[in-house]
Amino acid sequence: MAQMLLTFLTRVKPDKLDELRGFLDNDIAANLLENPYLPFPSLTRLHFASLFLDEGNTYGSYLVFENNFDGPLEDYLAELYAQAAPGLHRIYSCCLDYTAAGGADREVILAYLRKHIVRPNAYHIGNVGRSVERTLREGGLRDRLESFLDDFVRTEPSGQQPGFIRQKVQDCIRDEPAFAWVAQAEPRQTRLEWIKPRLKLSILAVAAFLLLPILLVPLIIWAVVLRYKEKRDPVPDKFDDIVRRVGGLVEREDRTHIVQNHLAHMTVVKPGLFRRWTLRLVLWLVNFVARTSDKGKLTGIPSIHYAHWSLIDNGRRLLFVSNFDGSWENYLDDFIDKASYGLTGIWSNTQHFPRTFLLFGKGADDGNRFKAWARDKQVYTNVWYCAYPSLTVETIDNNSEIREQLFTEADESATRKWLWRF
Amino acid sequence: MVELKPEHMKDIQGFVMSGYAHLPCVSYVMLRVLDVTAARGWLSSLVSEVTTSEGKQDVWSLNVALTHHGLTALGLEKSALESFSRPFIEGMATPHRSRILGDNNDDNSPNNWDWGGSKSEPIDILLLLFAQDEPTLDSLIKDQQAKYQTGGLAKVVALGAGRQPDIHEHFGFADGLGQPAIEGTFQTKDAPAGNVIKAGEILLSYINDYDQPADSPMVSLASDRNGLLPEPPPPTTGNSAPMATRDLGRNGSYLVFRQLAQHVARFCQFLEKATLQPDGQLDPAASTKLAAKFVGRWQSGAPLVMSPDADNPDLAKADDFTYRDSDERGFKCPIGSHIRRSNPRDSLGPTAAKARVTANRHRILRRGRSYGDRPKDRLVDDGVERGLHFLCLNSDIERQFEFVQQTWCNNPVFGGLNGEVDPLVGNLTRGDEIFTVQADPLRTRVHNLERFVTVKGGAYFFLPSLSALRYLAAL
Repeated sequence: MAQMLLTFLTRVKPDKLDELRGFLDNDIAANLLENPYLPFPSLTRLHFASLFLDEGNTYGSYLVFENNFDGPLEDYLAELYAQAAPGLHRIYSCCLDYTAAGGADREVILAYLRKHIVRPNAYHIGNVGRSVERTLREGGLRDRLESFLDDFVRTEPSGQQPGFIRQKVQDCIRDEPAFAWVAQAEPRQTRLEWIKPRLKLSILAVAAFLLLPILLVPLIIWAVVLRYKEKRDPVPDKFDDIVRRVGGLVEREDRTHIVQNHLAHMTVVKPGLFRRWTLRLVLWLVNFVARTSDKGKLTGIPSIHYAHWSLIDNGRRLLFVSNFDGSWENYLDDFIDKASYGLTGIWSNTQHFPRTFLLFGKGADDGNRFKAWARDKQVYTNVWYCAYPSLTVETIDNNSEIREQLFTEADESATRKWLWRF
Repeated sequence: MVELKPEHMKDIQGFVMSGYAHLPCVSYVMLRVLDVTAARGWLSSLVSEVTTSEGKQDVWSLNVALTHHGLTALGLEKSALESFSRPFIEGMATPHRSRILGDNNDDNSPNNWDWGGSKSEPIDILLLLFAQDEPTLDSLIKDQQAKYQTGGLAKVVALGAGRQPDIHEHFGFADGLGQPAIEGTFQTKDAPAGNVIKAGEILLSYINDYDQPADSPMVSLASDRNGLLPEPPPPTTGNSAPMATRDLGRNGSYLVFRQLAQHVARFCQFLEKATLQPDGQLDPAASTKLAAKFVGRWQSGAPLVMSPDADNPDLAKADDFTYRDSDERGFKCPIGSHIRRSNPRDSLGPTAAKARVTANRHRILRRGRSYGDRPKDRLVDDGVERGLHFLCLNSDIERQFEFVQQTWCNNPVFGGLNGEVDPLVGNLTRGDEIFTVQADPLRTRVHNLERFVTVKGGAYFFLPSLSALRYLAAL
């Protein structure tokens, strides 16, 4: 079953905000893997999760609980409840409209979660079709093969032929019952899953082309209005208190040996229906394109595991969460160098974004101002979990390729290329 | 737009344009302000002695830099202090910085540093003294000592380097190669095209590689009573009116200083052990080659990409090479080697050109020097400390120096690698540390790497322009 992304978005009772923050930081984050409330490692379908507070704005304080998991939804919810009922009850007791009397109130808690699901307007999955189980298994296979090859290098004379090395590797795995699963086919996507988004995108492109004569005049009007607004939207040169705020943010970063990081980000959509609907449209289009990504890249960025954009508060604010590889600086650099059009197209509709030209131009190109803006809009991630903290999108893909090609027919050139994967 | 012109050179400290290779003797004197009024007077008379980037001083050179603590001590106004970049304000020894720089372990922890650490005496001012020979340096030190002692300052620590016989650092490799060249200066004369960076990558307020003025600290117009400082660069995309400020950073730079002790015997013993032949015999050629694989260059400086099988002194200073076409897989120069991590050139990214643009946004101008004597026997630990005073200049510590250390050197998955860090300066905290030597058809992994380099101290400094020094002296 395909991966799913969603957040549970709930309002925090004003008088419970401090209590909830303390609980998330001290009882869960401080003991991430062994806390009795949200025992993340027991959630076998869960890839990445985060909980964070969006505090004290005009919309009240929100708790965002981000979940990236292997579907279907009901199976995940059932597991989440089964493993984490006391924690869920403790957390949501601090939130509005929560009526469960205790952790045992299964149906009430599940109904509450279902009711507060926010599905992203646009999302990205880095390793399409790789379940948690598969990711971990293939990681284990890679480790086994690496140590086998270490022994091989140590004990065999140098200058062995690629075919001979591969033969030895195959023998090693074939003889180990623990790796019986390796030989069974496990496609990342069904043919239909692969074709559908591409077909949709093609239809959309054809439709846009055919409708161009009708769309042309509205498009020009839209562009003129947009330029008028772009020239006048306020763009601050400096953000207040940025040094202290960023100092607080970075204290939570780079805890997994800098392999992965999390970014939670909340922006206010520029006032007026024009921006609100433009943003909705851009997200809709981005989502179309993102569905055809199966090489792990989001508009050229190779390092995002799961990312979602969700319009909340009736389209007045944009929530962005991302689980990415490497450092924050590197991630933002990737935005600037590889994906500035697409991302500018989205965030130029939100407040304080660096000045743009026709929605997609400039904007993120203005590196330092873009980074200052991104830091200003970033929200502290209170709790963050990953089921495989040492793996990158690239490594997961490489591990899959190693596994998928282990027993396939391979000529000398293909064998060499396969061995280079180690 | 601020453009780098020849007439600016007299306002830029000489350390920006030159590492003073012709002045082999050096002392880095760290000072603390005791009496602020006297210290301002001292600074005021020091300015005329500061070496600028105009012309060349054959006998000695002097440069000066300040920490955020030092600027505070001199009484710089609050708004100006807050306008510096965050890493400079916070300093090198914060917990997050320790994580990204690789100092979050018992050996490198700022708690144990000799200077600049969490438990050391604060440092305000760094005096960089260079001289043509030992007697000149001695008299320069004495002369300066007399001046700062009567100038309300006290010495915290002085780091000498000792004359080195050649440009090789203690592990035996030619150092200081592969520097970026600043656009608009003489440095670009022989530089490969891909190695040129905009002035704003090193000098504050100049246009950087994003085509924006590099962030620069600003003071209030009112505080610049003598009209010493230039106007801030015009805002490029914001729409707020220029504020009533003056540019304190123009023609200045940020200076990163890290004292790195090198464990030569440990390094050489490890290489020997890791390359033993199956019958237990030593294999000096393999040992030399493995060291070169760690570094990415042979001892002479010849790059492995250009000379993969043996050292070639004819290529000693060669820097006009790339990775993508000649060595994509790291069969010649391992992907995890020190020079490939520190400057991946054209190797990371969808195309060579894009990769180069991205990599060049993270360049630093290195100004390091070795310290301590060469050991008599490289395989014997003589108990004497030696290493490298790593100094570098950049306009954005976070995007340049820290990025290189964090995203490239300390990144266990750099360039598709699987759980290893820079063998020389990486953060070895993961247990069985490995280093992969890529080869066709099969890689070799070296196991159980040891810590060959230990951090002994460090700090971030601001290297002001001459005008900014005059402004600070007149506070």
